[in-house]
Amino acid sequence: MRNSFFILALRNVFRNKRRTTITFLAIISGMVGLIVFGGFVEYSFWGLRESTIRSELGHIQVYKKGYSEKGITNPSKYLISDFQKLEELLYKIPYVELITARLSFSGLISTGENTLICKGNGVIPEKEARLASFEEIIEGEGLFEEGKEEGVIGCEMQKSLGAKIGDYLTILTTTPSGMMNAVDIKLVGIARSGAKDYDSVFVKLPLSVVQRLSLTTKVEKIVILLDKTEHTEEVAQRLNLLFKEKGLDLELKTWHELAPFYHAVVRLYNGIFRVVKVIIAIIVLFSIANTMTMSIFERVKEIGTLRAIGTKRTGILKLFLWEGFLIGVIGAVLGMITGVLVALGINLCGGIYIPPPPAMTKGYNALILVVPGVLWYSFLSTVVVATISAFYPAMRATRLSIVESLGHN
Amino acid sequence: MPVVSVKEVSKEYKLGKTIVKALQKVSLEVEKGDFVSICGPSGSGKTTLLNIIGCLDKPTEGTVAIIDQAVAGLSDAQLSELRNRSIGFIFQTFNLIPVLTAYENVEYPLWILGKGRKERHKMVLKMLKEVGLLEHKDHKPDELSGGQRQRVAVARALVTMPELVLADEPTANLDSETGGAVLELMRKMNREFSTTFIFSTHDPKIMNYARRIYRLRDGRLINGESEKNNEK
Repeated sequence: MRNSFFILALRNVFRNKRRTTITFLAIISGMVGLIVFGGFVEYSFWGLRESTIRSELGHIQVYKKGYSEKGITNPSKYLISDFQKLEELLYKIPYVELITARLSFSGLISTGENTLICKGNGVIPEKEARLASFEEIIEGEGLFEEGKEEGVIGCEMQKSLGAKIGDYLTILTTTPSGMMNAVDIKLVGIARSGAKDYDSVFVKLPLSVVQRLSLTTKVEKIVILLDKTEHTEEVAQRLNLLFKEKGLDLELKTWHELAPFYHAVVRLYNGIFRVVKVIIAIIVLFSIANTMTMSIFERVKEIGTLRAIGTKRTGILKLFLWEGFLIGVIGAVLGMITGVLVALGINLCGGIYIPPPPAMTKGYNALILVVPGVLWYSFLSTVVVATISAFYPAMRATRLSIVESLGHN
Repeated sequence: MPVVSVKEVSKEYKLGKTIVKALQKVSLEVEKGDFVSICGPSGSGKTTLLNIIGCLDKPTEGTVAIIDQAVAGLSDAQLSELRNRSIGFIFQTFNLIPVLTAYENVEYPLWILGKGRKERHKMVLKMLKEVGLLEHKDHKPDELSGGQRQRVAVARALVTMPELVLADEPTANLDSETGGAVLELMRKMNREFSTTFIFSTHDPKIMNYARRIYRLRDGRLINGESEKNNEK
């Protein structure tokens, strides 16, 4: 016996197999709950983050210096010239996957019979197709030829306008100098982003068409897409350094700064997850405390014997804490295996269907991400909770009178 | 120097509103190497006296010294150390740890004592050989007969080579033949290791194994002195 308390505790854990099985089932259920819910939350964060980045924002946006502060009131004053030169320079930075430019405008869109307010974006079609991978063309096709007077509109706007593919729509806007200008475009595609409000106002046109409409050759922003979201901060630092070195009159914003909605959702979900964690911890705590209390009640005479032959109170405390710890470790390992299998099983079945969230038009199938951080957290918290659960019953065991314990039947 | 010195020891229990006097002014001394029996009918105070001598319980009045050490001022941890080092216990119901093998049950007090692995191994095997259970060393208590379990308990009580072994009705759960064999074993150990044995019994046949007999009735020692068992 290298460590008697450990050996004793290990054997006692498996002494009453039925009770131990019930305790393990409680722990496993808790662990599966933590892993599946944690994995679902992680998937939701990932999905929301990537859809936000790839449907509109990109990882980093570059503007003319001062745009963030004053550009909203007078965007035409803060436009970037020489996009092609800058593009060449920016492509030299590692992790950059795609660079595109945009020029936005506000105006009216009309079929002749119906007129709506629209928020338009001039994009580089072949690049936008890669950036807006979360945007779904539900009818017609996306833009693919620069320079052609063709456009894609949101599905909600299409319903309101009553427009069909192939129809000509008139777009009216003001130029930077305050003149009115209009262009007729052919409707080639109807898209759905999933966000109802966005789908009600958005119009996408080739960048050169919007430049003609706005009487400018400049762009409003440069959108940079990276290979991985994790590289955002590193690339932002390199860009800032580059702007400084080359004396470029530019500034940037990362997706973090451009996506307050994402951070609000993360905070909300994390709050819910914390509550779920506490509830599961309480269930596991009471389950193990109950097992330990019953175990001590059954072993009163044995505790008396151990004390009589020289075991100190601290020894009895160690023994029962070991038992709680071992129940926690074994239960957590079993729970982790079961949790991962359940998560993989759900994913194999195509995930869990989630109906459209508020302000969204389509639901999605949520997968369960098996995240090492969630597994590690679940394992550690189960072991800690199990050991803590054993503490009170263990303290009770140390306080038993030896004589009364020996006389216990 | 007496191994056990009990002076004017009384013990009272509260049983509801009634106070039960389990021991009244009991005094006795047991010398090293003695083989002593405490006899008396059920409820006479035998177990209470053994519990007090074994430092498992505290007297209401009087003093107890084990190997010249007064136990009254010792802390719980010190009493545990004293029991582990100097006192072996044999119980009526054997009280082996059910999840440990015979070997591990005997090894346990040595581990508490802090003995090294090799030394423990040597001492446990020696003791199991002495009680004739070497071939049963890997058996758990529920795989052993009553007599075998009590022999494991004897080995566990003696493995630390204590000065004193206390046995509370060690044969009460055994048939007379097995009980006699266990007493023979205890006497053999007493002779071989000069260990002092104090055992309680109400069985006249068993008390005859003792060299000296103390008789208790209603918590008092009859005549206040031990009898010398001339047969032994």
